[in-house]
Amino acid sequence: MVGLPGQGMHLRLDALSALFLIILLPQTIAAALSGMRGSLTFWVFVAGMVVALLGADAFTLIFGFELMSAASWLLVLRGDAKPASLYAGIAVFSAACLIPALFLPAGALAFMLILLGTGAKAGLAPLHSWLPRAHPAPPAGVSALMSGGMIKVALYVLIRYGFIVLGAKAAPWWGMVLIVAGAASVLIGSLRAMLETELKTLLACSTVEHAGLIAVGLGVALRAKAMGDPALAALGLQAALLCVVAHALFKPLLFIGAGEVKHATGTSGLNWLGGLLRGMPRLSGLMLLGAVGMAALPLGPGFAPEFLLLHAVIAAAATGGILAHLAFTALLAVLGVSAALALGAAVRLVGIGFLGRPRTLQAAAAEDARPGPLAGMALLAGLCVPVALWPGLVLWGMNPVIRLLVPGASPAPLAYAPLILVLLGGLVALAAGFVLHRFGVRGTREVPAWMGGFGRPPAWLPFGDPMTQPSASGFAAPVARAIGAGLLAPGGMDPGQAWVLAPLQRLYLRIVRLAERIRRATIRERLAFVFMGLVLALLVLGLGEGG
Amino acid sequence: MNLTFSLAHLMGGIILLCAFSMLSQRRLAAMITLYQMQALLLSAAAFWQGYAQGEVSLYLTGLITLGIKGLALPFALRQIVLRFNMIRAVETAMPLILSMILGLALIGIAVLVVLPIAPGAISLTREDLAMSLSVVLLGLLVMIVRRSALAQIIGFLCTENGLVLAAIGMPGMPFVAEFSVALLVLLAFLVVGVFLFRIREHFDTLDLTGIEEIERRGR
Repeated sequence: MVGLPGQGMHLRLDALSALFLIILLPQTIAAALSGMRGSLTFWVFVAGMVVALLGADAFTLIFGFELMSAASWLLVLRGDAKPASLYAGIAVFSAACLIPALFLPAGALAFMLILLGTGAKAGLAPLHSWLPRAHPAPPAGVSALMSGGMIKVALYVLIRYGFIVLGAKAAPWWGMVLIVAGAASVLIGSLRAMLETELKTLLACSTVEHAGLIAVGLGVALRAKAMGDPALAALGLQAALLCVVAHALFKPLLFIGAGEVKHATGTSGLNWLGGLLRGMPRLSGLMLLGAVGMAALPLGPGFAPEFLLLHAVIAAAATGGILAHLAFTALLAVLGVSAALALGAAVRLVGIGFLGRPRTLQAAAAEDARPGPLAGMALLAGLCVPVALWPGLVLWGMNPVIRLLVPGASPAPLAYAPLILVLLGGLVALAAGFVLHRFGVRGTREVPAWMGGFGRPPAWLPFGDPMTQPSASGFAAPVARAIGAGLLAPGGMDPGQAWVLAPLQRLYLRIVRLAERIRRATIRERLAFVFMGLVLALLVLGLGEGG
Repeated sequence: MNLTFSLAHLMGGIILLCAFSMLSQRRLAAMITLYQMQALLLSAAAFWQGYAQGEVSLYLTGLITLGIKGLALPFALRQIVLRFNMIRAVETAMPLILSMILGLALIGIAVLVVLPIAPGAISLTREDLAMSLSVVLLGLLVMIVRRSALAQIIGFLCTENGLVLAAIGMPGMPFVAEFSVALLVLLAFLVVGVFLFRIREHFDTLDLTGIEEIERRGR
C-alpha cells in the first residue's frame, strides 16, 4: 500500500487511538448529515484523520496528518481565500516542525518541535490567531469537524509522542511549557470568545480556550509523570481526556447550529440576530445545551472536565518548590477568570442570539433548521447527556487509555455525581413547585412594566424598537474595557496576530524587498556581490588557517 | 638569497604596483599605459623564469604575453579610446581614496590568506603567490569601482595578468593552462569589443549607467 518503499504502512489500534476514533465518529456523522455527505474532499479529510489516528509508524502518522491538512485547506478555500492562505501557511509551518521532529532522536528538541507543530495546528497560544479566522470560513459541517476533530488529532499526536514515544525522556519542564501555552490560550480564547460578535468566530475562539484547557491538563499530567507522581498524572489526564470527549460533542453541535442560523437568517453576526427561540425552537434548544457545555455549567457536559482540571491544578500546586506553588496558584486564577469569561460568552450567545426580540426582519422570519443538520445536532446532544450525567462512567471507560499513558497509575473514581445532584435538584424543584402551588398567590397582579430591557418606545414604534436592545458589542463592552484593554494588543487585535504573525509578515516583506533589490542590481553591483563573497571566503580561509 | 628570486620578486612587486596605481588613475589612457607596463613586465618575468627554471615553454608564454598583451591589446584599446574620443573621460564610481584604501585592505587579505596556508613550501613561492593573488583581487576591484565598460575590461585583463603571474612563478605549471587563458582573454576581448561597438551605436556612450537606466525602465 502507501508507505515508505520496502516498509509499507503500519496500522495499529490501541486504547488511545480507539478513544480518539470513537470521539471522531459522532461528529463525522453529524457533519455528514449537515450537508457534507456528497463532498469527496470531506471524506478525504476524514480519512486523513483516521489514518493519522491509526498510524503505527511515524511515516503513516505524518502522511495521515498532512492528508488531513491538505484536505481541510481545500475545504477552507471553499469559504474564503484569505484565511485559506493563512491556514496553508500554518499547516506548512506545522509540517516543517513535525516532519523533522518525528525522525529526531528522542529528547527535548524533538518534543519542542512536536509541541510547536501540533500546537500550531491545535491553536495553542501564541500560534492561535489563525484559528478564529480559518475555522469559521468553510461550511458549517467542516468547521465542526475542524474544531471538534482536527484539533483533537493534533493533540493526539502530542499525547502519543509526549507520553509514549518520548515518554522515557520526559522532563518536568516539558509539562510546564505545555501548561504555560495552554494557560495563555485559555485566557486569550475565552476573552476573545466574550468579545467577538460573529457567531462562528466566537465558537472558534472558544475552541482555542478548550484546546488550552486540554493542554493544561496534559501539561500537569506530563509534569507529574516526569516527577514520578502517577496519581496526579492520572488526574490530569482524566481532566484532559474528558475535556476532549466533551468538547468533541458540544462544539460540533454549536458549529452546525451556527451554520443553520446563517442558513436561516443569512447572517451570523450576533448584532443582527435575536429572538430566534421563537422561530427556531428546536435548534435553539439544542444550541442552549451546547452553550451550557461551552460555559462549563454544572450538570452540563463541560463541567466535569473543568472540575477535574481544577482539582489537578490544586493538587499540582502542592508539588515542587515555592515558584511552582505560586505559578499553579496563578494558574488557578487564570482558569477562574476564563471560566467566568466563557460563561459570559455563552450567556451572550444565547441571550443576544436566541432570546429577546429579533433585531432584523431576517431574524424575525427565520424558520427552524433543516431536518438533516437537526438530526446530527440531536445525535451529538443525545451523546452529551450521558457525558454530562455519568462522567464517572466515561472516565471508567478511559481507564485503559490512562494506564497506557501512565503505566502503574490507578485512576481515581470521580468525586462528582451529577445524577444525584440532578435528583436532589429535581426534588427541591418539586418541593418548591408544591409549596408555590399550595401557598402561592392566586390570581393576577398589576405591576409596572419592566419592558424587558427595552428603552422608551419611540412614537413611531409603539411596541419598542428592537434595535434598542443591548447589542452583542454593547454586552461585551465592559469586559473589553476592563480586561481586553490590558490583554489585547492596541486596537483590540489578537496578541498572537499583533506580536507573532504581523512581525513575521513584516520580516517576509523585508526579505522580499531585499531579494527584489538583488534581482534588480546593476552589473557593477552584481560583480560587487560576487567579489564580496570571494573576499569573505578568503577572509574566512585566512583567519581559519591563521587561528 | 640568489638573484633568481630577488629579480622575480622585484618584477612581481612592480606588477602589483602597476595594478595598484591603476586604481588611482582617472583617465583611461593612463590605465592603458599602466596595463601595458604591467604586461611588459609580466613577459619579462616569464622570460626570467624560463631562464631560471630552464623551461622552453615559459619563453613561449613570455612571447605570447609580449605580443598579445604587451603590444596588441594596448594598441587596440588606444584605438577604441581615440575612436570614441574618450581621452578626457573620467568615470570613477567611488572616491579614488576610498578605492585605494579598499585595495590596500585587499592586499592585506591576500597576504593573510596565502602566507599561513603552506608554511612548509618554499617561502619565496608563497610570496609570489600572495602578490599574484593581490593583483587578481585589485583587478576585480577595478572592475567594480569603474563605470565605463572599457575600464572594466582593463580590470579584467589585470586580473588575468595576476593569474599568469601565479602560473609562471610555479615550477611545473603546464604551458597549456597559460595558453588557454591567453586565448580566453583574447576571445573575451573580441566579444566585449563587439559589444562596445554595439553599445556605442545604440547609446552614443560607453557609460553603463545609461544601460542600467534603460534596464530599470524596461521592467
